[in-house]
Amino acid sequence: MDDALVAILRSGTPLVYVTLAGVLAQRAGIWHLGLEGLMIIGACSAVVGTVQTGSLAVGLLIGIVLCVLASALLWFVIEILRANPIIAGLGLTGLGLGGTDLAVQAIYGSQASVTAPFGLPRLGPEFGAFGVLSVLVVLMPFVVFGVWVLVRRTRWGLQLTACGEHPFAARSVGVSPSRMRLYALCLGGVLCALGGAELSMGSLQIFAYGMTAGRGFMAFAAVIFGAANPLGATAAAFFFAIVQALGIRAQLLFGDKVPHDLLLALPYIATVIGIWISGRLRGGARAATAFGELRDY
Amino acid sequence: MNGPLGQVFRALVYVLIGLALCGIIFELAGYSAPLMFQSIAEGAFLSVRAWQNSLRWGLPLFLTALGVVISFRCGFFNIGAQGQFYMGAIAATFVVDGLSGAPAFVVIPLTFLAGLAGGGLWALWPGLLRVKSGTDEVITTLMGNFIATLFLVYVTSGPLKDPSGTGQAASSRPVAEMYRIGAANAVSPAIIAICVLVGIGAWVLVNRTAFGVLSSLAGRNPIMVVWQGAKLSRLGLAGFVLGGALAGLAGTIEVLGPIGRLSSGMLPTHGFTAILIALVANLSVLATAFVAIFFGGLAAAGLYLPVLAGLPAAAIDIINAAIALFITARAWPKRLAGFFGQRRSAP
Amino acid sequence: MNVEHNAIEVRDVSVEYGDVRALVDVSVGFAPRRIHAVVGQNGAGKTTFARVAAGIVQPVRGTLSIGGREVPVGRVGAARAAGIEIVHQSFALPPSFTVAEAMEFGAEGGRGVFTRGELERRWKRHLEALGVAVGPRERIRDLPVETQQAVEIARALVTDAKVLILDEPTAVLSPSGVEKLFERLRVMQASGVTILLILHKIREVLSIAETVTVLRGGRLVEGPVETSATEPHRLASAIIGSGLEGTLSAPDVDALVGAAEEDDAAGAGPAAGNPVAAAGTPILAMRGVSTRPDPEGPALADITLSIARGEIVGVAGVEGNGQRTLVRALSHLADLTAGDIALDGAEVTRRPLAERRAAGLRIIPFERNTEGLSLSSPLWENWSARQLLLGGVLRLINPARIRKACEAALKSWDVRFSTPNQPAGSLSGGNAQKVILAREIDDSATLIIAAQPTRGLDVGATAFVWKALREAKARGCGILLISSDLDELFDISDRVVVMLSGRISGEFAPPYHLGEVGAAMTGAGR
Repeated sequence: MDDALVAILRSGTPLVYVTLAGVLAQRAGIWHLGLEGLMIIGACSAVVGTVQTGSLAVGLLIGIVLCVLASALLWFVIEILRANPIIAGLGLTGLGLGGTDLAVQAIYGSQASVTAPFGLPRLGPEFGAFGVLSVLVVLMPFVVFGVWVLVRRTRWGLQLTACGEHPFAARSVGVSPSRMRLYALCLGGVLCALGGAELSMGSLQIFAYGMTAGRGFMAFAAVIFGAANPLGATAAAFFFAIVQALGIRAQLLFGDKVPHDLLLALPYIATVIGIWISGRLRGGARAATAFGELRDY
Repeated sequence: MNGPLGQVFRALVYVLIGLALCGIIFELAGYSAPLMFQSIAEGAFLSVRAWQNSLRWGLPLFLTALGVVISFRCGFFNIGAQGQFYMGAIAATFVVDGLSGAPAFVVIPLTFLAGLAGGGLWALWPGLLRVKSGTDEVITTLMGNFIATLFLVYVTSGPLKDPSGTGQAASSRPVAEMYRIGAANAVSPAIIAICVLVGIGAWVLVNRTAFGVLSSLAGRNPIMVVWQGAKLSRLGLAGFVLGGALAGLAGTIEVLGPIGRLSSGMLPTHGFTAILIALVANLSVLATAFVAIFFGGLAAAGLYLPVLAGLPAAAIDIINAAIALFITARAWPKRLAGFFGQRRSAP
Repeated sequence: MNVEHNAIEVRDVSVEYGDVRALVDVSVGFAPRRIHAVVGQNGAGKTTFARVAAGIVQPVRGTLSIGGREVPVGRVGAARAAGIEIVHQSFALPPSFTVAEAMEFGAEGGRGVFTRGELERRWKRHLEALGVAVGPRERIRDLPVETQQAVEIARALVTDAKVLILDEPTAVLSPSGVEKLFERLRVMQASGVTILLILHKIREVLSIAETVTVLRGGRLVEGPVETSATEPHRLASAIIGSGLEGTLSAPDVDALVGAAEEDDAAGAGPAAGNPVAAAGTPILAMRGVSTRPDPEGPALADITLSIARGEIVGVAGVEGNGQRTLVRALSHLADLTAGDIALDGAEVTRRPLAERRAAGLRIIPFERNTEGLSLSSPLWENWSARQLLLGGVLRLINPARIRKACEAALKSWDVRFSTPNQPAGSLSGGNAQKVILAREIDDSATLIIAAQPTRGLDVGATAFVWKALREAKARGCGILLISSDLDELFDISDRVVVMLSGRISGEFAPPYHLGEVGAAMTGAGR
């Protein structure tokens, strides 16, 4: 039972960090499909940074800086150049995936995975089975609480929500939706860097091409499922993580009877079901996207 | 700057910006950007062989991109082209493998039907979820891609596995020679003919039928067509299924043509590139043809990059992603000047 | 005599949006502690002026002074710090917020973090002090329109406002609601606040304002003058412009500027020359129609209504009392739980919208830009949409021929455009509405639903729409006209029904009395 809990926390924590980033963006009015790209940049920087400089702190810092820069680039493309956020987000994801691949290739000469000499600090053997959990896992509940307070119990959070829901109201009290989106995206960038670092350095200390495997998109689905509420979205993220853990468990138990790939597909299927339920509960998605419609600011 | 010519110009500018950004990234990574661009030009357009390669990659992209164009015009963000492409290829392989031995004039048409159905059905379920329950199609089609990719891996290491496989990439048995419609890694008259016919059909559908106008209106303002009495769900579903079927058609062509078999991990970025083509072409059928050849050229060049410039083939994916980042931008550069300079009245 | 500084003063203010000049060299000052009105037709620049004064819009030229001190233009923070607050026409309240949250998000000072209890306590006092009877925990979207406006005013008064600007506050209110608002404004004036009201009905101006200023075409044409020293006819001329005024009938002019007098406020209905209900099958017969609640409004409850050939029936009522549900029910976009609908004698209760349209139903929808047009699509596509749906969806069409037919049609409706290929969004509001009319009012129309057809249109376009509706009526169409402008309804309709909470709460024949109709709008006994 303890082992199951540990597995769920380990697979859930990266997802939760990235989901919170998505919540901030969604509240500000941006459908953030670049989460996957940011997550993998975070994962790669943590490992490669640690290997190259020997310092985990530097690796984390590089990840944070890169993710914030990438988020700012996304902001620039969406707000100043007025690109379609969904396509721009997918482009950012592509840049993240390809860019990390290129970086590994450029530094190490081949596309094999990179292993770091050590990972994130752990709790330690005094905590028994939970000793393998990293500091980022321990930090996670505080971050969730922090984001919840920020979004639901501060004036800034109300203004953020106004920017996404009713930009004119925000402007009429002197808040610039455009600038607010920049803050939300950059703060989200930091969270994605942490989530990516936990993914790569939290258990196996390895970076491999494409290791995010769609988690960034699952995080986005969790945001929708949780209606952009920090607590609800976190719960949704854990739901997906549990399904993923179940899938891995089932592989061990039923390995030869059920196709391995079907079990791997469980989290994606669960995401679809989750989105469907969320749609039924809340009645309808955003109206079918209009490509040329003027934005109503 | 808003007419069709202006839009083409703007698209070109943003493609160039994307290329420039990539040049910077590659220089930072220690590669030579000029050498990279030169290799791309060589691999894509500077010889007859290059043109053949560009067509080999560009024509299937053209088909899938047409599907995306039709889907997007109906107003739905069907980004599941990759999954629909795979499902079409898988369905086609099941048929051509299972009917092995029967005469070609029976097997080939059935294979094509299977491919169209496979792709169409894989687009139907997200379409139904969207139209009946309002479930957002961005996530469902995206997840559909992941699921289809896993299904492809399963199928090529299980039911359709090639027993004499070398163990590198799982794949199915090669398609029998008599069912092939094109030689390995080449383009063939049959493929060209299919693409031309489908292209003409798509052009007529989009530009000369009521469906074309109504779906275009629906794509830009679905609420308005609902108030005119259109059955938005039917328009939308048609868009989804057509989009999926065309992607499935492209998958069938790859299996019966240039690749000659089903292979796990085949053309992993085909769907994303097709979406990009549709956007660069601003959802115009005619422009899609030209843009598809251009991106086909990029894909062809991708194979030359490791040879000529020491870059990973993934460099092309980065270029595509950079273009995607900028291509839907609507602001024209003079607005950038306004942003940095004098503040103008805001509405 | 050295008077104290004006509460607000603008000098040489010009606002341009691309090629459109919304305000041209406007210079005007308003004395403190008085109630001022700024009037003009739609498109005259009143809202733009209000927003410049509040710091929301930045002019390309000009200065703004508050209480004698110059304030940087285009900065909301600076304007609010100087004591200016604005109440918007369509409220600046995010629908999912609670009332307390709506007060908080624009507040300044104090702590930025709070618990839910703290938040509610903090704002409960403020709301009580202003006499707003609403719980701090209620959500904006659940509140009726008049309460939302009270909350919007409370939001504006969160800081110590010296100048309060209200942008068209009366548009959404019933006549008694207007009275209550004016009472509240007088109380605020007594406590030292300067009030600037953007209005467009002369009747209201004369009732509440001490001075009046007229804008037309972005320019200042009159004022500020004392309302006691001016008279309605002069104001009407200033608002409409003498050129246009000459082409309109006197009752129309009165309706356009809301100048009719309180008591027989509202003409004797349409001019005697027009025949009223023609005998024969009614064009529309609704019997006992009920629906489920809509996201947009309350459910319809037992609506029985009929419209005869050549009759215009006006629907009055505060917005949000079921008018939208009524239109949706007639368009088969809302399901009926009871009752039936017949068009020209034929039962259509279960028929889809496409069939109803084929039978002659036409709709000029509430929201021009979202329900009526696709702004980024070309004019010819927008115009031909209805006809394209008449046949099979796969049939071949000839776009060149459609474009030519579109051009001819738009010209005959006096639409100003350059090519049928230009996007609908490039047209002005009035021209865009004419495109919708060109599409909807054709020879085979039998029942026309006109939902707020003149909202946001200037005087010329409004008069044009009225003319089009009257011509359709003369041809034998039945028309259902929904409007929140009682002057318009009284001027055009052969009959007026009033909707309240999804029911018909009153039915009136001309001559209309504002008091009676107003009472039916709020359900107050009289």
